[in-house]
Amino acid sequence: MKKSIHRTRAIVRKEFLHIIHDPRTLFLVIMMPVVQLIMFGYALNLEIQHVNMAVIDYSKSLASRKFVQYFAGSKFFHPFYVNQNPSQVETLFKERKAKVAVVIPADFDRELKRNFSIPIQFLIDASDANAATLIQNYCNQVVMNYNNDIGNKMSLPFDLRNTVYFNPNFKSSYFFVPGLIAMILIMITSLLTSVAIAREKETGTMEQILVSPVRPHEIILGKVLPYILLSFLDASLILSIGIFLFKIPFVGSLLLLLVLSLLYIILSLSLGVLISTIANSQQVALMIAMTATILPTIMLSGLIFPIASMPKLLQYFTYLVPARFYLLIVRGIILKGSTFVQLLIPTVILVFMTILLFTISVKKFRVTLEE
Amino acid sequence: MQQILTMISKEFKQIFRDKAMLAIIFLVPVIQLFILAYSITTDVTHIKLLIADMDNSQTSREIVRSFSHTGRFDIVENISDLRRIRSEFQSWKAQMVLVIPPNFGRDLQRNLNPQIQISVDGTDGNTAGVAIGYARGVLNQFGKRIMFNPIRRQYLRNIHLISMIPRMWYNLELNSQQYIIPGIIVVLLTILPMMLSSMSLVKEKELGTLEQLVVTSLKKHELILGKLIPFLILSYIELGIVLVLGIVMFRISMNGSYILLAILSFIYLFTTLGLGIFISTTTTSQQQAMFMSWFLMVFMILMSGFFIPIENMPEILRKLTYLDPMRYFMSIIRDIFQKGSGLKFLLRDVIPMTLYGVVILSFSVVRFHKRVG
Repeated sequence: MKKSIHRTRAIVRKEFLHIIHDPRTLFLVIMMPVVQLIMFGYALNLEIQHVNMAVIDYSKSLASRKFVQYFAGSKFFHPFYVNQNPSQVETLFKERKAKVAVVIPADFDRELKRNFSIPIQFLIDASDANAATLIQNYCNQVVMNYNNDIGNKMSLPFDLRNTVYFNPNFKSSYFFVPGLIAMILIMITSLLTSVAIAREKETGTMEQILVSPVRPHEIILGKVLPYILLSFLDASLILSIGIFLFKIPFVGSLLLLLVLSLLYIILSLSLGVLISTIANSQQVALMIAMTATILPTIMLSGLIFPIASMPKLLQYFTYLVPARFYLLIVRGIILKGSTFVQLLIPTVILVFMTILLFTISVKKFRVTLEE
Repeated sequence: MQQILTMISKEFKQIFRDKAMLAIIFLVPVIQLFILAYSITTDVTHIKLLIADMDNSQTSREIVRSFSHTGRFDIVENISDLRRIRSEFQSWKAQMVLVIPPNFGRDLQRNLNPQIQISVDGTDGNTAGVAIGYARGVLNQFGKRIMFNPIRRQYLRNIHLISMIPRMWYNLELNSQQYIIPGIIVVLLTILPMMLSSMSLVKEKELGTLEQLVVTSLKKHELILGKLIPFLILSYIELGIVLVLGIVMFRISMNGSYILLAILSFIYLFTTLGLGIFISTTTTSQQQAMFMSWFLMVFMILMSGFFIPIENMPEILRKLTYLDPMRYFMSIIRDIFQKGSGLKFLLRDVIPMTLYGVVILSFSVVRFHKRVG
């Protein structure tokens, strides 16, 4: 037992030396999460903010100008008038000068006094379907506001109140920054470990370790421990940046977060070891780690895009992505102060996944070593 | 010439020898295509809604029905204890709660302007905002139905409303894949040439075989060409795979010129291959090369407008996007596919992209020459 600890420690020391002797990698491992967090934290904003709107106004009346004023008054639209020719719209879209064009008919003013409902055309550049949907919704809202103001006595017969819990200003960084912990942790752990083990295989040093008296589980442990430490370092770095720079309110229990994060780290390290048993070269390890762990973590975990809106089949796949459950945990603890009992289901699933992956990876690793 | 060909065939042998590598080169684009094409959607559906109907009248049940009719909301449960709201949010069981107070229906009939309440979990600000919008829409509709009730007809005479008629251009069905799949081509033409070429060059350094290559009669430019051309060819193969899958399986429309697409892709590959060489000159191990290219890649994808529209970013970041060569190619490819734009409309992106390509490639080649020499 004592010898085993001793041997493991030797490998840990060796791996540490490897990391420290390569300051460029160490720098990247520490700086990359920080820079990425800051970039993502500011850039991830799915709310459309600047929509250029071309106005083709045949009516040129006071009423039409007042209508356009409603768009100028909202923070989303930048309306500008163009000469009266709808065929221009195509060119405007191709030149990307406008995303939406509104056509106000010549008799707008008269119709507005006479008819109950006046149709107005909105031409929307739908090349980005998501943006187009949002633009349509915003236009709808502005039209609704306009209708409420001009059509007097239009106010609803009841009073609509809304309360927002946890994030009253709808700040997107509140949602994304804690989520990025899940992404960065898996990136560091599964990518680094799989490549580190593949490197030993590629350069032939794995065989040298094998002929030494070190046991397989000691190799894994020795390889993995330094990266657990590194990922904890990264995680706390991200967390402090989130709290101090992005002013994320930390509502829940730090201890609970740390314990459950350790679980997630062990899980992603097992994934890294598993990948290394398949890959014989660093290039292959990298590509597998990217497609099998990082891509799903970013796209299929609910990190950025809502799972509920994905097609059913793809939704089933998301149950295989550990980050999906870890995200509920991080966001729940940090933003909502969720307790352990409230997060029981995702935790149990994570525990189950960890046990499964850990045993498979140790078994497979042993088999690869013995070959 | 002969020597370059030998070098290329050596590279191909090296790539194809590794079965795993081969599988990856052809599988990765397919997997990426399927995951990205289906997952990038900002549409908000299946909002988990709790109902706290304390009125339990015909009116309140009608409101609940109109929520479930939209198809946007999944009604998960009826609750009676409002203190449970916070806890339901904390355990992620609900996203929104509709509270209809007692006597709502009766007060509505008596024109007492009763209150109705929506509580929402604001954690995901984007979803919460959209969800509130939908809920307001439903309640507005409901309110109008009451107001335009025949009994209240006299109202209508003074009311003139604008109704919005949206016309979607280029993409009638609002299929987001039309936008995402051309973007995936750009991502693939970035990852593969940049990561793999830099790693393959560094690998020669790491294993010491680069020196062996240098002392052969192979000239340096032949060495570089021999290294780059295989990745150029592979990139075109990936382009082909995604193009065929996109058009045949996902039925995206390609409205522009294939020749223009091929030529502009070639120019873009200058940039990514150039970056690959550049990374190989600044790093000494594959691990470092991988991290450098990973880092660059994340920056480039994020700033390219691939899944986060550039217009949404804060001013400083928006300016930073001009430093990203991928940004230009992203706009170019999307416009070619969807709008069928010709070179005339694309020039403002083609010029900076070409500049970046030429500068990056020549700078890296010069640097590589110096390093190797």
